Amino acid sequence: MSILSVCGLEKGKVWRMSSFKTAIASALAAVALSAAPLSAQEPGVSDKSIKIGILGSLTGPLAIFGTGNLAGATIAFEEANAAGGINGRQIEWVSLDDESSPPKGIAAFKRLVDQEKVFAIFGPGASAVGQALIPSFKASKTPVFISVFSTPAVTEPPIRTVFRTGPMNDRQQGIAIADYVIEHLKAKKISLIRQTDEYGKRGGEAVVARLKELNVALANEEVFNLTDTDFTAQLTRTIKAEPDVLIIYGYPNPSAIITRQAKQLGLKAKIMGANSAGSRKYPEIVGEAAAGTQNIVTLQVLPEGNDPAAVKFRAAFEKRFPDLARQGRPDLGDVLAYGGGLAFVDALKRAGDKPTQESFIKALEGLKDFQTGLTLPTTFSAERREGNVAARIVEVQSDLSRKLLPAVVQDKSASK
Amino acid sequence: MLAQVLVSSITAGAVYALIALGFVLIHKGTGVVHFGYGDQVTFGAYLVLIGQAFIGLRFDVAVAGALVASVLLGAIIYLAFMWPLRNASLLARIIASLALGTVLREFLRSYMGPNAWPFPFLLSSTSVPVGGVLIVPANLAIVGVAIAVLVALYLIFDRTIYGKAILAACENSTGASLVGVHVSTVFLLIWILASVLATVAGILVAPLLTLSPDMGLIGIKGFTAAVLGGFNSLPGAVAGGIALGILEALAGTYVSSALKDMISYAILIAVILVRPQGLFGELTLKKV
Repeated sequence: MSILSVCGLEKGKVWRMSSFKTAIASALAAVALSAAPLSAQEPGVSDKSIKIGILGSLTGPLAIFGTGNLAGATIAFEEANAAGGINGRQIEWVSLDDESSPPKGIAAFKRLVDQEKVFAIFGPGASAVGQALIPSFKASKTPVFISVFSTPAVTEPPIRTVFRTGPMNDRQQGIAIADYVIEHLKAKKISLIRQTDEYGKRGGEAVVARLKELNVALANEEVFNLTDTDFTAQLTRTIKAEPDVLIIYGYPNPSAIITRQAKQLGLKAKIMGANSAGSRKYPEIVGEAAAGTQNIVTLQVLPEGNDPAAVKFRAAFEKRFPDLARQGRPDLGDVLAYGGGLAFVDALKRAGDKPTQESFIKALEGLKDFQTGLTLPTTFSAERREGNVAARIVEVQSDLSRKLLPAVVQDKSASK
Repeated sequence: MLAQVLVSSITAGAVYALIALGFVLIHKGTGVVHFGYGDQVTFGAYLVLIGQAFIGLRFDVAVAGALVASVLLGAIIYLAFMWPLRNASLLARIIASLALGTVLREFLRSYMGPNAWPFPFLLSSTSVPVGGVLIVPANLAIVGVAIAVLVALYLIFDRTIYGKAILAACENSTGASLVGVHVSTVFLLIWILASVLATVAGILVAPLLTLSPDMGLIGIKGFTAAVLGGFNSLPGAVAGGIALGILEALAGTYVSSALKDMISYAILIAVILVRPQGLFGELTLKKV
């Protein structure tokens, strides 16, 4: 495990680090600042600062989620500090890398709570780590705020200290996709192809269960392993079933290959994907076969779009993280984490002049229809820990640009 | 349906074969099993992307640049890692190759980002109907290049004095030195050749598999194909690759898509139990 960044910010002074790598490189230099005397009463709170832990996978295969978690939170926290901080206190943060490993995620969580004594934790970034942390969440009083990953395991059943907004969970996404293809695409015959892992299983099973509730028979259901490269067998059976819509519930890389091979083999059905296909580069990765495909996306606006909120965020992101911008970002994870960061900051402000972990939880529970202009509205309550239960639909155009459709889909059964 | 499944499985098999050829080349030439080879294949494709997206080169120029860069990479791998470890145990060299793969992969994740990148097909990816099955020209290119590489390597090893020198250097480096073979140069050439082959494979398979830092996971399948074919046999690598592709497709069609990896690997274990030398390998006897 490595400390990747520890940013201490003096009042009224914002550190401008030219790149993501410098943010990482400046970690040790800022350790001294993070050791400011803390209030005896509450972890992570001193007269001048509130210390937050950011946990996420910054290396390894799940870095796709964790780097977005860190980048989005960093911008939200720096903006809050530049605007005067949290009721006079500056946000300090310690970022730990779980290296895409659930055991290391557990160790990092423990370190943030026991050694760094943070006030709250922003993250982790990936479902596999979040799911492994459930016993740790239950054993800790430290509030946890999730804004990137989507496994329902961390909110169903709810854990008092764990809040999530941004992505709908996979069960809700599955329901929303099933509702959308029936109500909006008027599909009569629906096929499903899903990953064999937890992600595909949760989402795929929710689609199947919802179709059953609506008395719509599934034309056929196929599965694939994450490392598969040839989907001819599954797609040939699917084509034989003659569906109107094929729902793909899988990670971006296999989804891209399936979409391409489906067109090569002559599938006529409309292709509908999950949130993980919501990357802005996804259409280009698929190629011309992406034209006309749709997928669910849990954003209010697209990060590459011309909406003023998107333009403003893109400019801030490109200025703050030029080396990530070079990689085609901000992308879905960056925007989700930034939106989550704004909700987190708002609740911190409303946690009072003498914030406690308990008052912060109460403040989060008080968030009602919190808007960021980029992400979908957040609502929590004393019982509700899933802040966003809605999503929008993206359609890939013939020039491979993405267009947001007017439809907003949601899990209507979600608690108020 | 079966005809289409078999035709498509040959593409998957050719991908495995191309990577298996690299494994066999390095093992045949230097005795090392390069567990980072899958990552080196990925790195080769990223070299093109770096040239194209960041330096602004045309695609063909970027490909040429990547091939030149991979010559350098091969030389660096040998001179900086494998030459200093020449007297270390085989296990140490294998672990070094694994570490090398991790370094390349995590460098790409950090420098190029964890997300996938678009990568162009060399030929059209639109299918064409031929005799009742759909053929994709871009996939044919992979099959064609795999066979061409096999033929070229086979000719080098079997028909040239350099090839025989390589085999001699690997078989008995002291003996080869005594008869005038410059063993270090031979090993250097093998690593360079394997590095160029990795880049060629990367360029061909990246658009098919989707280019991301984790594309090198396909190395496991290439390794399996190499084992299936007999780890020292070049024709065996290609036959092993195609056989693995077909096995997976048949298992996915007639048994279960979810279990196809399990079934393919179970068959692999069965083959190894019956023929430890693989389908095309020869048992080597050491006379004392």
